[in-house]
Amino acid sequence: MKKMLAMLLTGAMVFSLAACGNSSSGNAPAQSGSSSEGSSSTESKPAEEPAGGPVTLNVTTTYAGEDTNAGNYQDAIAAWQEETGNKINDASASSAETFKARVISDFEMGSEPDVLFYFNGVDSNPFVEAGKVVSIDEIREVYPDYAMNMKDGMMGASPVDGKNYSVPVNGYWEGLFVNKSVCEAAGIEIPTADTTWEEFMEICQKVKDAGYTPIAASFAEIPHYWFEFCIYNYLTPATHNILPESVDDEHGKAWVDGISDMKVLYEKGFLPENTLSATDGETFQLFIDGKAAFLIDGSWKVGGIESSTDDIDNFTVTYVPGKNDRKSTDIIGGLSSGWYITRKAWDDPEKQKACVDFISYMTSDEMVSKFASVSATALKNGVQVDESQLSSLAVAGLDMVEGATGMAGAVQDQVTQEARVPVFNGMPDIVTGKADIATAVADLLALVEAGQ
Amino acid sequence: MSSNIYKNKKPVIFFLVPAFAFLAVFLYYPFLQNILNSFRVINNLGSSAKGWNDPWFANYVELFKDANIRTALVNTLKMIAATIVGQLGIAIVLALMVDNIKKGQKFFRTVYFFPIVIAATALGLLFNIVFLYDKGMLNQLREMFGAVKLVDFKDNAHAMLTMMIPVTWQYVGFYFIILITGLNNISDDLYEAATIDGASKWQRVRYISLPLLHNVICTCGVLAVTGALKVFDLPWIMFPKGMPSNSTWLTGTYMYYHAFESHNVDYSSAISVLIVVLGVVTAKIVNAVFKEKDY
Repeated sequence: MKKMLAMLLTGAMVFSLAACGNSSSGNAPAQSGSSSEGSSSTESKPAEEPAGGPVTLNVTTTYAGEDTNAGNYQDAIAAWQEETGNKINDASASSAETFKARVISDFEMGSEPDVLFYFNGVDSNPFVEAGKVVSIDEIREVYPDYAMNMKDGMMGASPVDGKNYSVPVNGYWEGLFVNKSVCEAAGIEIPTADTTWEEFMEICQKVKDAGYTPIAASFAEIPHYWFEFCIYNYLTPATHNILPESVDDEHGKAWVDGISDMKVLYEKGFLPENTLSATDGETFQLFIDGKAAFLIDGSWKVGGIESSTDDIDNFTVTYVPGKNDRKSTDIIGGLSSGWYITRKAWDDPEKQKACVDFISYMTSDEMVSKFASVSATALKNGVQVDESQLSSLAVAGLDMVEGATGMAGAVQDQVTQEARVPVFNGMPDIVTGKADIATAVADLLALVEAGQ
Repeated sequence: MSSNIYKNKKPVIFFLVPAFAFLAVFLYYPFLQNILNSFRVINNLGSSAKGWNDPWFANYVELFKDANIRTALVNTLKMIAATIVGQLGIAIVLALMVDNIKKGQKFFRTVYFFPIVIAATALGLLFNIVFLYDKGMLNQLREMFGAVKLVDFKDNAHAMLTMMIPVTWQYVGFYFIILITGLNNISDDLYEAATIDGASKWQRVRYISLPLLHNVICTCGVLAVTGALKVFDLPWIMFPKGMPSNSTWLTGTYMYYHAFESHNVDYSSAISVLIVVLGVVTAKIVNAVFKEKDY
């Protein structure tokens, strides 16, 4: 009897394991027999007429979790599926390191999605170098109208070969957020497009003398916004994105001088007293609570400020005052993510047209305007936003971008996380004089040179 | 009634194999792969290696040169000491006191155990507010008592203490429960006999409770020390990236930082090998120090 029971239990276990193993097969994406995984073929052919049935696309994006466009994305794919009869297998996830690792790993294993919305900076280098995504030029050979509503120069060319591989949706800008009540209490004018860096230093001194913290920034955790603008002050929109070859060349000197200015900010006491031990969240709270006057951050912070205050009209955003050849109206901004079509899907006659159709749908003027709202876009016609629906802070952001005389991408996007360590993580030692600025920059460049 | 099922070991092996296979696939294979990875060049999580390091043991040489590793090792040793004294010491005192009361034992068991069920990330955020520089709970209390200058509890001078307090506090209840269960297993007859012989309360604790609790304390000691080697979540929430000025690194947080923040995956693998070696050596030492006795 017991033997029988043991056999039954064993059988049940084996059966359940087998069932578990097969459970995903029902949802497995349709794989085409003609898929040429890892193909480096550059000769493009138009998609053959689909067999007639609906196509299933595997799609991965960062529109998930806390992303403000997660809802818009779900609505959009539901509408596209209904319109076309095609199906989307969505594997979107929040933009975290684990997501990046999963995408890179999928490409390595040959199980990449058909379409993905992903970063276009150094994060995309592994699969661009491997030829696993299709360039815009190649797609246009077959579909000449593809992404023609976008400015080619703003699409976010790959650092690998300078070609466009992705179609961007919404980008970012960085600006100087201002707490108006602190400025009023300190008796100072809010910086404008004409304010110079030297005048800004005088403004900060007045804010400090009035008993407030001039600048809300954590140099321990997030020094990169001030890093960008401080070195930008010694460069121009045309030269900001060129990495120094050595610490002694023109760009290397600009980096050293810019970081020296960050040290001056610290030494003059313009930063929170605990800037070397506070988190970014803590210093942001100083700004919201009316204890700090200025904050450099990105367009994504508009929503953060809106949700953190009951008086959004107390906040505005303006240009970060400039120095030397950089005008104050030269801003940092760009489009750091976009829609890619993978080589695997492109070479699949059943999927090629559906991929192009899907991305065209997701990057139409109407859809991009909906996703972008106040952030930067590459649309030739600009965004169509109803300003009456926006907060005064969001409108100030739009005005700032509209009045910009130049825009450069964040140069940190060209430097890998590992290479950033000597300068970004070493910032507390740099501003306190424990580490030499030129040595830190040289160490960063050495890591860049080593390909890390 | 005898049955062949107990003599025939084949079904037992059959049932053990899945668990072993699971461990082999998800623990032993990744561990061996991790050792291999520590000799390779890997610049992204998920990406394959770009060849071997030059020399192949470069990461292990770097471990000896890296000042942050030294900081992490020293801090981890401090954390072990804080764990033994803070977690285990306080838990023993609390357990002995609660064991001596007749009413309310269940209440105190629940109260002291409660921090264990709260996620470490939530505790990290909670203590961030307690130790906040501007209008944190402690600084507000100090202001109430007349202090005029704010104290930065997260600066270089206070950071380690600020980190150890919540870590210690979180696990006191865990050891308290184990110890009080051990105390409950001691026969009341022994205490009654000692009382009749005129033993004071302290003598009963000294000569009955503590000796009979020795093996339980040893088990708790091993758990506490090995737990201190792995502590990660709460320190990372309160002091990300070794803030301030690389002074709060622990071996766990430093390994995570290199894997997920700086993307130096191969060096992170080398650190994890170091952690395993450290864990094995420490466990041996702890087992020797907290040697269990046969009664």
